Amino acid sequence: MSNVIRNPRNGCALHGALQTVQEINGVVPVVHANAGCGVINYLANGGASSGTAKYSGFSVPGTAAQERHVIFGGASRLREQIKNTIKVVNGDLYVILNSCESAMVGDDVDAMTKEIVEQGEPVVDTLIAGFNGGTHYGYEHVLTDILKSIDNVKKSEYQKNSKLVNIFGIIPGKDPYWQGNLDEISRILEGVGLQANVIFGATGSYEDLSNAKNAALSIVFSRWGEQPAKLLEEKFGIPRVIRPSLPIGVEGIKELVASIKDVIQLDEDKLLSFIQKEEIYEKNLLRRVRDEIIENGLSKKAVIVGDEEQVIRIGGFLTEKLGVEITAAVLTDALKKDEEHETQNDELLKHISNNVYKSVDQKDINDIIRGSKPEVIFASALETRVASKLDKPLVEISYPIVDKLIIGKTTVGVKGLVTIIEDYFTVNREFENAKRDRLVKELKNETGNNQWYEKEDSYSRVRSNKGLYIRKQEFSVSNG
Amino acid sequence: MAEKIGKHIAIYGKGGIGKSTTTSNISAALAEAGYRVIQIGCDPKSDSTNTLRGNNYLPTVLDSLREGNKIHLDDISVKGFGGVLCIESGGPVPGVGCAGRGINAAVNLLQELNLFEEFKPDYVLYDVLGDVVCGGFAVPIRDGITDRAYVVSSSDFMALYAANNLFKAINKYAPTGGAKLGGVIANSMKPGYHREIVEDFVAKTGTSIAGYVNRSIDVQQSELYGKTVIEAKPNSAQADIYRNLAKYIAENENLVVPNPLGSAELRDWARNWGDRIYDIESGVVGVAEAI
Ligand SMILES: Nc1ncnc2c1ncn2[C@@H]1O[C@H](COP(=O)(O)OP(=O)(O)OP(=O)(O)O)[C@@H](O)[C@H]1O
Ligand code: SF4
Ligand SMILES: [Mg+2]
Repeated sequence: MSNVIRNPRNGCALHGALQTVQEINGVVPVVHANAGCGVINYLANGGASSGTAKYSGFSVPGTAAQERHVIFGGASRLREQIKNTIKVVNGDLYVILNSCESAMVGDDVDAMTKEIVEQGEPVVDTLIAGFNGGTHYGYEHVLTDILKSIDNVKKSEYQKNSKLVNIFGIIPGKDPYWQGNLDEISRILEGVGLQANVIFGATGSYEDLSNAKNAALSIVFSRWGEQPAKLLEEKFGIPRVIRPSLPIGVEGIKELVASIKDVIQLDEDKLLSFIQKEEIYEKNLLRRVRDEIIENGLSKKAVIVGDEEQVIRIGGFLTEKLGVEITAAVLTDALKKDEEHETQNDELLKHISNNVYKSVDQKDINDIIRGSKPEVIFASALETRVASKLDKPLVEISYPIVDKLIIGKTTVGVKGLVTIIEDYFTVNREFENAKRDRLVKELKNETGNNQWYEKEDSYSRVRSNKGLYIRKQEFSVSNG
Repeated sequence: MAEKIGKHIAIYGKGGIGKSTTTSNISAALAEAGYRVIQIGCDPKSDSTNTLRGNNYLPTVLDSLREGNKIHLDDISVKGFGGVLCIESGGPVPGVGCAGRGINAAVNLLQELNLFEEFKPDYVLYDVLGDVVCGGFAVPIRDGITDRAYVVSSSDFMALYAANNLFKAINKYAPTGGAKLGGVIANSMKPGYHREIVEDFVAKTGTSIAGYVNRSIDVQQSELYGKTVIEAKPNSAQADIYRNLAKYIAENENLVVPNPLGSAELRDWARNWGDRIYDIESGVVGVAEAI
């Protein structure tokens, strides 16, 4: 049975591949598709959190296939486009991304790529067609395809680096905080004496891709990092550590480090001193907000909506550290019917909420939210309407986040824990303030009296054990 | 779509079954009878109208489309025997691109060029490639192009299988204004039980037979001369067969939505006939008894 998906928050596999490749400095995507396939992704994602590499967004090279390329095949158009791209765009690696159109017509992209590689150009193609899956699939498979063939098109040194760690499973754009999260993971790994091979964003590059084979370890932070790590394990014997999510808080860091230690040796002294510092830092910051958390009644009933990794990380933190009760969790990963990942987080998810759903349909999601009677909603900008209808605060944690500029902020590690508390607190405070303002206005209309204004300030500072509620009866308006 | 000019007839059938031969002879017979006829070959091989135009070169619609220049009707059509306007849709190089989309584009282009308004045909025949393998090949029987389809078939199982597939396609599109079936053209009929097989199939699927065309040396000979039988051997019995067929198709208004057999049903039906044929061939029973 087919049905309508309202507000789909995942693109197609081409989109996933494109938003992955365009965040690698030095790598140039060449989209082989009808006009629109590439750019619609950029438009949907909004520009702010994407565009690390020079060729992204509106400036992605593409074949813009027309009807005649469907009828007669688009391979020669692709050849032309690759050649022109190489001529005018400097890249360390060119990656051909296929679409539904090229796959259905049956363009022999492999042959075309081979031809150009034989002329000495560093070009790889991917086996992904738009319809193969969603954004997540695109990320996972484009990385795997590139790692599979990168050595055939461009020789690079093979030299093991016992400190180098590949980072997989953070999807640029799908994790709105991906850049900051990569930064924080790098900082943590550095802290314990390792070196992160981040590939993406401000600090990553093409070099990291060719260096991936030299790593001592791959860490997979969500199910969507499994394939590339598996490939490197099979091809180069690089062991992999599979984590259910990125770490949050000192506890998360400790768990991560423990699982790394199962596989490779770490410098114990360095490790100890790093963890100690993080602990002190976390304690210190938490101490500052402890009173606020209690006074503002942040231990509410909540619903959380986001990709599995985000739900596990942020949902876990909310329940364990803030005493939030998660009445429902919705996982928004673009899963396939024959989902084949090894990662199995069902048990873990049970600890976060008794009601875990998988859905990407807005109607489902809204129904779940309504039915779960939350006091606060941790979700995306797409839940703005349902939140306002229910008159509940919305903390945006998952894609898409629209009205907030996120460039380097993180929701990972100790800093991430702080970010989430800050965001939650701010949203909650703003919500209560707005509610108060509304009540005040109503009251003003009812009494036709303006005198309460003088008293507003003192009222807003009245704190009850339920937080900053100002109830109508608290206003004593004098008519004299 | 505006009022259709002329009767638009699609001819389908398994590869090599005689679609082009039959279509061209029908066109020739209709032209001979004084009608204005267009024959459009909807096949990348672009050999549908060969015998109408003495094997002369004719650029295909898609060849012109590929070159990207402005296309005029004159560039892609030529008048053949009896003034039949010959057009070939053409297609991509084998193994490349999408021929189905090509046919779609060619048919669209002909409409854009106001072909029918300009030529004012009485009959337009579409000779469509092989089986209805994808949506592109169903274009001629979808809404607005033709209103009737015929299928050429022999008594061979694979030919009937292809006919059954066409019935499925008609069944699918007819409710939304697609073409209906005019009948089955039984081609290359040899004597014996072959007729009964086709007749049985037609009865099972609620369709009818538009005509029988014998297997004849005249057909092959005329083809070698680059001509239809109507042109090369106007006085032959075979020419009359085509004339009768053309007359039937021109006048037939008994159009039906067929009841295609399901895959299992078709298999069982075929197996059943297999047993009977064996009995007939090995002389156990006569034809009449076997049926
Ligand atoms: N009734 C007939 N008697 C003798 N030969 C015939 C008869 N009908 C068709 N043929 C021969 O069979 C061959 C194939 O016929 P034709 O090209 O018309 O088939 P087709 O269905 O158009 O094939 P394709 O699917 O390849 O376009 C031709 O050589 C033709 O001369
Ligand atoms: S699903 Fe296919 S057609 Fe749609 S944007 Fe993706 S590649 Fe293009
Ligand atoms: Mg033919």
